[in-house]
Amino acid sequence: MAETTTGLPFLSLLLWLPLLGALLCLLCYRSATVCRWLTLGTTILVLLVSLWLAFAGSTGEAGWLLFEDRSWIEPFGIRYTLGLDGISLLLILLTAFLQVIAVLISWDMRKHPAFFFALVLLLETGIIGVFLALDLVLFYLFWELMLIPMFFLIGVWGHERRVYAAVKFFLFTLAGSLLLLLAIISLYLLHGEQTGVYTFALAALKQTELSFGQELLYYLCFMAAFVVKVPLFPFHSWLPDAHTEAPAAGSVDLAGLLLKTGVYGMIRFAFPLFPQATEKSLPVLAGLALIGLFYAAWIAYLQFDIKRIVAYSSISHLGFVILGLAAWNQTAWEGSLLLMINHGVTTGALFVMIAMIRQRTGTREIDKLGGLWKTQPNLSAFFLLFCFASLGLPGLANFAGEILILVGVFASHPVWGAIAVGGVLFAAAYMLRLVQEVIWGSSCEPFDKSDLCQREWLILIPLALLVVLLGCYPQPALEVMRGPIQLLLGGMP
Amino acid sequence: MSLLELQSLLPQLILALGATAVLMGGAWLENRRVWLVIGMLLALVAACAAALFEPPLVEVAGMYGTSLYARFCTVFWSLCVAATLLISCRYADLHRFGGGEYASLLLFAGAGMSLLSAATSFVGLFIGLEAFTLVLYILIAFNRTDNRGAEAGLKYLVFGAVATGFLAFGIALIYTATGSFHFTEALAGLQVENSLRPLGLAGWAMLLVAIGFKISLVPFHLWTPDVYQGAPAPISGLLATAAKGAVLAAFLPLLGGLGEAGGVVKEVLWLLAILTMLVGTFAALPQTNLKRMLAYSSVAHMGYLLVALLIGGAVGGQALLFYLLVYSLATFGAFGVVTSWALAEEEIQDYAAIRGLGYLHPRRASALAVFLLSLAGIPPLAGFFGKFGIFHAALRSGYTELAVIGVLTSLISLYYYLRPVIVLFMQDRSAYQLRSGCREEYLLLGGCVAAILFFGVYPGPLLELVALVLP
Repeated sequence: MAETTTGLPFLSLLLWLPLLGALLCLLCYRSATVCRWLTLGTTILVLLVSLWLAFAGSTGEAGWLLFEDRSWIEPFGIRYTLGLDGISLLLILLTAFLQVIAVLISWDMRKHPAFFFALVLLLETGIIGVFLALDLVLFYLFWELMLIPMFFLIGVWGHERRVYAAVKFFLFTLAGSLLLLLAIISLYLLHGEQTGVYTFALAALKQTELSFGQELLYYLCFMAAFVVKVPLFPFHSWLPDAHTEAPAAGSVDLAGLLLKTGVYGMIRFAFPLFPQATEKSLPVLAGLALIGLFYAAWIAYLQFDIKRIVAYSSISHLGFVILGLAAWNQTAWEGSLLLMINHGVTTGALFVMIAMIRQRTGTREIDKLGGLWKTQPNLSAFFLLFCFASLGLPGLANFAGEILILVGVFASHPVWGAIAVGGVLFAAAYMLRLVQEVIWGSSCEPFDKSDLCQREWLILIPLALLVVLLGCYPQPALEVMRGPIQLLLGGMP
Repeated sequence: MSLLELQSLLPQLILALGATAVLMGGAWLENRRVWLVIGMLLALVAACAAALFEPPLVEVAGMYGTSLYARFCTVFWSLCVAATLLISCRYADLHRFGGGEYASLLLFAGAGMSLLSAATSFVGLFIGLEAFTLVLYILIAFNRTDNRGAEAGLKYLVFGAVATGFLAFGIALIYTATGSFHFTEALAGLQVENSLRPLGLAGWAMLLVAIGFKISLVPFHLWTPDVYQGAPAPISGLLATAAKGAVLAAFLPLLGGLGEAGGVVKEVLWLLAILTMLVGTFAALPQTNLKRMLAYSSVAHMGYLLVALLIGGAVGGQALLFYLLVYSLATFGAFGVVTSWALAEEEIQDYAAIRGLGYLHPRRASALAVFLLSLAGIPPLAGFFGKFGIFHAALRSGYTELAVIGVLTSLISLYYYLRPVIVLFMQDRSAYQLRSGCREEYLLLGGCVAAILFFGVYPGPLLELVALVLP
């Protein structure tokens, strides 16, 4: 087959740069300083390349902005196919940005720094790969590649119950993905029998003719992998543990990025491959999303560990995202994807803040915290901002996404919309409790009274700017994803 | 035997004669390193001879074939023997092994394995199998001061002797039914419906029992953990890889030639595969000893390989050989790490003894993690494409239930593969500093890791090679 690659292989560059950085890190394992700067340099470079792609490419079109296709494992018909459209571009921008934050927040990592930074970079390759891959086996490879670094990040650098959380995370996600693997292989065989061409290319497999029963079976196998990652109620039980036990950078990556790969897998693979089954499943998805939305919010309200509150808030927000997808119209989808980006930024920021608070107070227990405003006004101000963004205050990040979802859902299913509005209220409840108990309330003496240091300012300012920008002017992001969403929605229910 | 026949058996002759020479020489010159290195070079020469030298005859004495497949197997087993000798360098020093005997026995084992996978008649098969099994009895108990080693050797001997009995009786029955030892005629004889056919099938049943013992299929696997635990680590590595691989490789063409009569045999194999996958996996779960865990893991992997053997044909054969290669790389590497960590008085095997070792010996611990994750089938390591190939072949041939069970057991297997990794990297240090690795060990382990990573990312060349050599 002909090799079709347009211009310089930017996508491969984007994909393999972090891996190169990881290898260099392992080579320079003796010096923590070198590793740090190397990792920061690599992540910034990836961010610059993705920004360049965003500004140089003619974004907003429906087709692929960039596409790469090379032969890879011919005996199985597996090809190295990468494609970038508006949706993956946005998610990659988010990935590149949050990775820089993750590196900065773990700047003082003292425990095996080379190993740590190498894993963070390896994780970045895995995540970017998931957002780019268009060959099902290639996708699966990157999907699994995300697992190992995250497993080690939680298990080695996590808190008290880290091993338990790491194993739980690993088993939950792998159980889902092995079903995905079986479905991928049998879909490939079926397509091969029908057409005589054995290939794992997404575009070709979409043409496979399936009976409704087959479609449903495959769809369930695919969704098993994706809903665990999202995580949709009732598959969420790994998430609070993983989030709580993970180190700061791990939590930022988990909440900001890994959860998004699940949603991305649905819209890029599961929905387009099995349109009939998708159509039938939408009410179920919506139902689970609504349950998750309220259930997680309720549990978040009852938590005493501030990290667990934010973890459950993630489940709740992702429920919102899935609800938007289930509404199946342009507005709701735009809202869902926007909320994903916004959630990545705000929740990432909240986990960063929690790490900073813990550094100063030595605790994450909500009872032992309080009155931070007195000693650390700057830190508290940022915390307030991100909490408000998270609860969906108009003008800040999450609001734009949520309102679009609600508008879209009301247009097609007013009942769902009416129920979902209550979710916003719940979010306000647990977030306000968090703010009240941590910033105000009875004062407790932090042992480290210093306010933000230079590096922390450097982390928080971009996050804060982004939160305000995405809240007030989400137009550029919406325009980038408009075309691809039309394409994904077109030709389906 | 004519000169041409001898030429056709050149690699096996190099191994066997070389072994004799090393054994003789070892009596005169007592230098361990020299003989290990010479043995390794001989094995490498045999591998080169098998790879590069075109044998003039297709079949030797009606017993051994010289097909591309047989030559490929010879290359692979010779390399395994060479690798075992290389990794044993310091281990042999620590335990004061007699260098000449050790090297010579391993070379004999290599010759036996290569004869086994080249066999084209039941006599050849029997000779090959016995040749290397006899050698292994000695090698397992090679450490004379170790009681566990003696126990393991005896256990292997008893089970091996029973298996040999079954094998000989099975061959006799097949001979009675078909009137020939040669594979093609003996297999063709079974296709004909006559009164002797049940006898032939009974012979096959005996044969399966013998194979079951040799490659430790459930329910014939009971010797495996004890023997692997007691044997010197490099020998356990050889037992788990080449010794099992040679038997599987010999039976792949044999089962393929069974044709119609294979239906009954395949039903038995189907059941054995399921049992082996399940029991191997569940038995490995509670293990807290690295070598015992690897023993049960090898049982479970034999189950996967049996699935490929059952599918047969080009698809199954490719999957089997590919899986065998990547499984061998990882298993051999894992035993290599155990070898490298061994102390003079004992081997470090218990999980409690390797806690936190990952930060004392990061390179070898990381290598072990890579090997275990590859065995678990996590991409981007080679084990993933091995499993991928087998599940793919199973689904393609309509064995959906085997693929599903395989996927489930892979999932469960993660638990016992991750446990040592967790112990190595995620628990507080209780381990004491071990010897730093020597150059030979790093060379070999590094090579295994590199190969696993390379074939995990780019398995194309290996898949093509495997497709090329299949009969």
